[in-house]
Amino acid sequence: MSLSARYARTAYLFLLPALVFFTAFFYVPIANVIATSLHTGPQADVFAGLSNYADALADPSVRHSFLVTLGFSGGVVAGSLVFGLLLALVLDQPLKGRVTFRAMLLVPYLTSVAIVGLLWRNILDPQLGILNRLGLDQQWLNEHPLATIVGVTLWQTVGYTMVLFLAGLQGIPETYQEAARIDGASAWQRFWRITLPLLAPTTLFVSVMAVISGLQAFGQAYIITNGGPGDATDLSVFHIYATAFKTRDFGYSSAQSVLLLVVIVLFTLMQLRAGKRGEVTY
Amino acid sequence: MVRVALYTLLGVMSVVMVAPLVYMVSLSLQTEAETLSAQAVLWPENPQWGNYAELFVKAPFGDFIVNSFVVAGGITLAHLLFDPLVGYVFAKFRFPLRNTLFVALLATLMVPFFVRMIPLYVLMAQLGWLNTFQGLITPFLMDAFGIFLMRQFIQPIPDDLISAARVDGASEFTIYRKIILPQTKPALAVLGLFTFVFQWNEFLWPLVATTTPEMRTIPVGLTLFNQEYFTLWHLTAAGSVILFVPTAILFLVSQRYFVRGITLTGLR
Repeated sequence: MSLSARYARTAYLFLLPALVFFTAFFYVPIANVIATSLHTGPQADVFAGLSNYADALADPSVRHSFLVTLGFSGGVVAGSLVFGLLLALVLDQPLKGRVTFRAMLLVPYLTSVAIVGLLWRNILDPQLGILNRLGLDQQWLNEHPLATIVGVTLWQTVGYTMVLFLAGLQGIPETYQEAARIDGASAWQRFWRITLPLLAPTTLFVSVMAVISGLQAFGQAYIITNGGPGDATDLSVFHIYATAFKTRDFGYSSAQSVLLLVVIVLFTLMQLRAGKRGEVTY
Repeated sequence: MVRVALYTLLGVMSVVMVAPLVYMVSLSLQTEAETLSAQAVLWPENPQWGNYAELFVKAPFGDFIVNSFVVAGGITLAHLLFDPLVGYVFAKFRFPLRNTLFVALLATLMVPFFVRMIPLYVLMAQLGWLNTFQGLITPFLMDAFGIFLMRQFIQPIPDDLISAARVDGASEFTIYRKIILPQTKPALAVLGLFTFVFQWNEFLWPLVATTTPEMRTIPVGLTLFNQEYFTLWHLTAAGSVILFVPTAILFLVSQRYFVRGITLTGLR
């Protein structure tokens, strides 16, 4: 056996577990979710063509859950960009105790969505919640449910976004800022003309990640709001979960998962495209 | 002036981030009456450490903890075992279909978990693996990101090191174990840390794949306990503290790795 054939054999031997794993737990399930989406009935064994897709696209509750999910993701993206960048800009200054502040801002990122959900449901409860018992008369989960779960999600994730932006900021060479300062550019001008354009790759990454995770959010709806009040926070994955495991309609829920996957892929491609166009070098 | 404003902003934000978690600890030490009293209790006068014991009486919380450690620990071990090996192959070997396989691997990064959820549930039901450890663990044995991370880390290791070992007659697996693996320790630390924390906190799959309280992990067991005993907030908070402590300890002892790990995810 030639040497290169021997290396190839070793390579495949080492790869074997991975080949089995990714086939059995990614590619076969993906094929199966598509196959199931073309079937109907309690066992999902009656061929139905594309009717699940047609039904889903015409179903007001599915359309509503997509809109809710888009609104949720939009809020998470906007909040991540604004607050993450703001905090990173502050922490990028030579302040005492930066490391401690960074750690404190990052702590909620370590918590499970179960903690986030249960804790904030308690805090925000209009009767039992600490805020109202301290005298604040709020009904946020009833009046602005979607914005409230966006806020709770940001509480958990903004530290992560901040660390990403901090790394991005530290990658910008000091000389650009220096040159602009000598030319008499104000701090405001330097931010808009130098910092922001050079941060574009980080901004793109943060927004892609925020969209992807926002479109897949589940626990917030499951734990905090149960999709309500009414269907105000009926996030797509929550809707899919309910269709699959409460209504027991695997065909219909599979079709909805595939549709949501298509939405996620389209959004990611669109953002990468926009990112390419916005790229700058100095 | 500017410094005062910046410190104020950081101070306020830090309080917003940390205060809810401190309140969670406070809540876990209150009596049920205190958690419900119109006069809010910020910190209980007589901390009720017994709440933690009560939690184990009201729910199979010992099982939750064991399950969480077995599942998150098992998945983490699997990642540490497989991800560097596969990363090594893609970093250092030439073989037919290499690029095709690598693209096929990276493509799985685009597949969110919810897409696999229903077919995996059906598969596990067919195998009789619902409500078992293997059912909770096997869907997450490896992941493309971990493999990619390890590949990036292994690539700069000089090829000469590997060839020299081959000339000396070392077996391929010995080369991997004795030469490659020891050099990847920092990356392995980040990989292990992130995998453990993410799996420890995972919610959707343990919710779908378990059917009895005895098999639940802490996040799921705690949430379903809360739904059942809706107003027992002192016990829910005690359970949340138990769920939070391991990740908090990991963070305290390895903050540097955490920050580096986040930055690495951003560099992909």
